Amino acid sequence: MTASVVENRPQDSMAASKGKLVEPDLNFIREISRLGGDSFKKCYQCATCSATCPISPDDKPFPRKEMVWSIWGWKDHLIKDPDVWLCHQCNDCSAVCPREGNPGDILAVIRKYSYLYYAFPKFMGKFLYEPKYLPIIAALPFVILFVIVALFGNFQPEGDIVFKKFLSHPFPLDFLFILVAMFALVSAAVGGMRFWKALQEGPRPPVNNPRGFTAGLIEAVKEVATHKQFNECDKANPRFYSHLLTFYGFVALFITTSLVFLGLYLLDLETPLPLLNPIKILGNLGALAFLIGTGMMLYLRLTDEERAGKNSYNDWLFLGLMFGLAVSGVLTEALRLAGIAVAAYSMYFVHLALILSMMVYFPFSKFAHLLYRTLAIVYYHGYAASASEAKEALMENKQELKDETVQPNAA
Amino acid sequence: MTLENKTILVIGGGISGITAAVEAAEVGFEVILIEKEAYLGGRVARTYKYFPKMCPPSCGMEINFKRIRNNPRIKVLTLSEVTKITGDAGNFEVSVRKNPRFVTGRTAIPSSVVDKLSSEIDSDFNLGMNQTKALYYPHPMAFPPQYVLDKEALSPEDRAILENECGEGAIDFDQQPEELTFKVGAIIAATGWSPYDAQKMENLGFGRCENVITNVMMERLSDQTGPTQGRLIRPSDQKEIKNIAFAQCAGSRDEKFLPYCSAVCCMGSLKQARYVLEKDPEAHVSIFYIDIRTISRHEKFYYDLLENDRVTFIKGKVAKVAEDPNTQDLLIEAEDSLQGAKIHQTFDLVVLATGVVPNTAHAKIPYEGLQYDEYGFIRPNGVKGIYSAGCIQRPSDVSRCVRQATGAALKAIQCLKG
Repeated sequence: MTASVVENRPQDSMAASKGKLVEPDLNFIREISRLGGDSFKKCYQCATCSATCPISPDDKPFPRKEMVWSIWGWKDHLIKDPDVWLCHQCNDCSAVCPREGNPGDILAVIRKYSYLYYAFPKFMGKFLYEPKYLPIIAALPFVILFVIVALFGNFQPEGDIVFKKFLSHPFPLDFLFILVAMFALVSAAVGGMRFWKALQEGPRPPVNNPRGFTAGLIEAVKEVATHKQFNECDKANPRFYSHLLTFYGFVALFITTSLVFLGLYLLDLETPLPLLNPIKILGNLGALAFLIGTGMMLYLRLTDEERAGKNSYNDWLFLGLMFGLAVSGVLTEALRLAGIAVAAYSMYFVHLALILSMMVYFPFSKFAHLLYRTLAIVYYHGYAASASEAKEALMENKQELKDETVQPNAA
Repeated sequence: MTLENKTILVIGGGISGITAAVEAAEVGFEVILIEKEAYLGGRVARTYKYFPKMCPPSCGMEINFKRIRNNPRIKVLTLSEVTKITGDAGNFEVSVRKNPRFVTGRTAIPSSVVDKLSSEIDSDFNLGMNQTKALYYPHPMAFPPQYVLDKEALSPEDRAILENECGEGAIDFDQQPEELTFKVGAIIAATGWSPYDAQKMENLGFGRCENVITNVMMERLSDQTGPTQGRLIRPSDQKEIKNIAFAQCAGSRDEKFLPYCSAVCCMGSLKQARYVLEKDPEAHVSIFYIDIRTISRHEKFYYDLLENDRVTFIKGKVAKVAEDPNTQDLLIEAEDSLQGAKIHQTFDLVVLATGVVPNTAHAKIPYEGLQYDEYGFIRPNGVKGIYSAGCIQRPSDVSRCVRQATGAALKAIQCLKG
């Protein structure tokens, strides 16, 4: 009797009953253990985490299933799972975990693994995730910039502080940055396309009547613009404000840079712009928001580890770079206005080198969450979730299981 | 060599202590049985039905009480606590504080007098789920069969009633705690367990939502001698309970609360599920679990329930219980991990399967040299002449406690025989 009842117990609908074979990848288990700890091994699948998570969907909620997939070493599923990217790591799940399995951190590790996995060219990922390469990756942009200034620029321009005397437009400054931007764009495009393709084959395959790319994109833009889900994580989540400030600061700075760039060529714009020019105001406000946002994030990471989750090398690298960008940018402008030439040009040099780092490392560092998370949200809303359909499928599934369990002694 | 003092002291008058006491006395040893409550029986006296046989514990208890009554070698001290133990095997000196009952038992107290009293206290026997008079009979099966008076809770008017209307000498208001000393040869510690404090798990709503109760409260709620005379009605509004959820591992197996498995709560909830189904042919039961731990013959009990279509098993721990402010129904949030689907379901009543905390976690046996593990469970056989039984050793069901207690009695006897 015992055996037949056991056989008739409902199985994990996402694995056994659909006939998928789990192919454990032991190297993957080792790799994620190395990247962020092996606390997932403590998980005993009580599912408190998924039920606690305020943003995981009702259908196949996370992170319980990601925890068991990690234990199984089911890399193929995890790197193709959009859910990993829906998580904003408020760590509510880690707080309630009875086993101290830290599911929030595990999802972060899988994201980290994904940056490496989708990186193109691959060696760049490796460079950014091994602390031993830090001196090289930190120094390289400075060295390149130094060589370029030495060859084509002027380290100590005379007269008023005007940065184009240091490195002139369009050559070599714009030439350099356009080249770097193209490299970053190609890398990001290849990584993004690989990821997009993988999502279709992952644990959330497209539904029969998807809402489509546009609908998904609208959802993603809404989410990115409002940070709505991010805020749902935890009402008192200070990371919501710091991230929102950083994001809008960055957007404002990006717009400013683009406008000035276009202005230089289309309108013969004269830089530096006066302080009361609308573009300048936008830039300065953006810089302020960016500085405060990244500063808050650093402070939170330093003081409230429990909320922020486990800090790892790539978190620090990315955040440090962003904060460095903010500080050096603001200082550059301040020193220029103060008229301290040597310091202003030096700071400008540092700032340019950091921008260079940010652009080159964008597709491989944590910064790439901008790419992957957005894609995952587009995919999730546009292709994987059609709410009514998911619910229907669930009901059918339940009915089947019920039929099964009613006559457990059939055998 | 045989030890001179052949008396065995048993600390704790629950099922383990009672068993050890009668087993030792019936083969000829003098036994002193110390109980801190006013009556014997402990947690078992508060239990509605035993698993797996679904019979009431009162009948077995009655047999045990008869064995005690008929055996002149057992001396029972209720309302008493051991305060100090010194000496060695064969020659222990035990200090006991006997608290006053105030009811002497010399003259019977007419129930008409008790009915006149207005001072009330929370019923300790019913875990605070109802009230009793300040002069109360602990429960219908209480042994010794005597009233107890809570003098502190008695109003001056009620005191006057008792002084004027009870028979001469029935109540002695001047009783003081007594300090007693006994010389004994061996000691059996069986001070039992307490349920884990369910209020610590804020997400489960105990203490915040009236219709969230614990498994031990469920026993009282179902019992004819309980606060509802055995009717399944819920605490907040006396509505009939039709849809009931059991939340397993409430605090248990959790690093932040009670890290170990208490071993008995699964069978406890399955038993409760079964008597709910038997009491009400319309009732539906849902059991939220991580793993159902029913070993050996108990597994059959689980499989029988699996076949019952009025029971739903959900593999997923309850993450949150929220109360609907209008209906006081309870909304449970969980994930059915076999389906991969979140559950938001409403219930009339939620029963938390809280775990077993050894009473030695809070009150050690007052003897230097005894050892306890990190959770407060006593390490057995640490000191010659002192043995332990029941839930201070490990979480155990009744049958296991009885076997341990018999074993402890045997060890004490062997120690005294030399």
